[in-house]
Amino acid sequence: MIKVLIAKPGLDGHDRGAKIIARALRDAGMEVIYTGIRQTPEQIVQTAIDEDVDAIGISILSGAHMKLIPRILELLKENNSNVPIFVGGIIPEEDADKMKKMGIIEVYGPGTPTSVVIEGIKGYFEHASV
Amino acid sequence: MQVSDSQILDGVKSGDRKFFAKLLSICEDDSVRANRLISNLEKRTAHVIGITGSPGVGKSSIINAILDKSVDKKIGVIAIDPSSPFTGGALLGDRIRMQSHATSKNFFIRSFASRGALGGLSPSIFETCDAFETFKVDAVFIETVGVGQSDVEIGNVADTVVVLISPDGGDEVQMMKAGLMEIADFFVINKADNPISKALLSKLRNILEMGKKDVPIFLTNSITGEGIENLTKALDKRFSSILENGLLAQKRQKRVTSHAQSILRKRIDDILQTVKTDQLDLEEIQKAVIRKICGNL
Repeated sequence: MIKVLIAKPGLDGHDRGAKIIARALRDAGMEVIYTGIRQTPEQIVQTAIDEDVDAIGISILSGAHMKLIPRILELLKENNSNVPIFVGGIIPEEDADKMKKMGIIEVYGPGTPTSVVIEGIKGYFEHASV
Repeated sequence: MQVSDSQILDGVKSGDRKFFAKLLSICEDDSVRANRLISNLEKRTAHVIGITGSPGVGKSSIINAILDKSVDKKIGVIAIDPSSPFTGGALLGDRIRMQSHATSKNFFIRSFASRGALGGLSPSIFETCDAFETFKVDAVFIETVGVGQSDVEIGNVADTVVVLISPDGGDEVQMMKAGLMEIADFFVINKADNPISKALLSKLRNILEMGKKDVPIFLTNSITGEGIENLTKALDKRFSSILENGLLAQKRQKRVTSHAQSILRKRIDDILQTVKTDQLDLEEIQKAVIRKICGNL
């Protein structure tokens, strides 16, 4: 059973994308924790640790990703956690590359079919367990 | 991340949330290992409080409001949402109402999927409650799945059952029905800002007067916090009184039986999955299961 936290950091209130992903992952047989909008990096990381999730999905549309993502990674490191992070939202390609170098597993832009996200997460764990 | 038994035991003893979180995952995935680990840890009796009621009645919100007023206590929250009967997946959305407490050092909120368990609970509910007692919390709130009239399992797990009713929950006859309405130690009429809530209060009082059990009724509004302090005080008072009058000990003794029943049911379910039922008739299926149980002893 894959347990995923879907979280939305920052100030933008458009959570339709996050909800669609949460719903799609549920239908793909995962247990999905959805924490709603306007979460701080501290809330996200503490929730991921307390819930002992296998992966975190972060949705950001506000443009603040280069501030929020490094902070989340830093907090996870402080807690000795290496839980994989997937990011979705409005992310310029150059920033997506930078984030992947920081350790983000994958960055999904607008129009990505949900099946691609599901395969991305499932694929990660298939490889991880081999 | 794989963690050893000794890492878990040392981590939980030192109050490390990360290892306690792992212990809860073990409760969900491997009850035999969980029970073994728990038996090696010191427990402290916590007040186990069940919060139950229909979907959307305000179970998560009232727990959030209770947490707002309980900053000096150590509290665990077990929030259960349904698993899909088709895919096994689940959307665990109870936390969304409690996220302001996500970083509180004194509170530990954990979401569980029902994973096929009946009665609005999760298959690991007994292990999970025991685990929280090894984490030395003062109280554990169990938020059931949004339930119907016959989901009374929570009465076998919790020391105190709080049944939430929505102001538009129905007429007197609904309240006279057996099942959920009988297991309440406290009733809460939530969403007290709704004018109908006062009418419901008097209806519920009338119905309760017909019976023998005196059940206190609280009017609350989880958004404004109205009525919450009355409820938390009453919960504290009940805990000390059931500790003193032996009711708690009695309930815990009965809980052992319910726990055994839950383990046995799960074992039968697991065995049933391995029996090739399509080639057997009803009688043969039962015999095959019983043979397997006896073989495993």
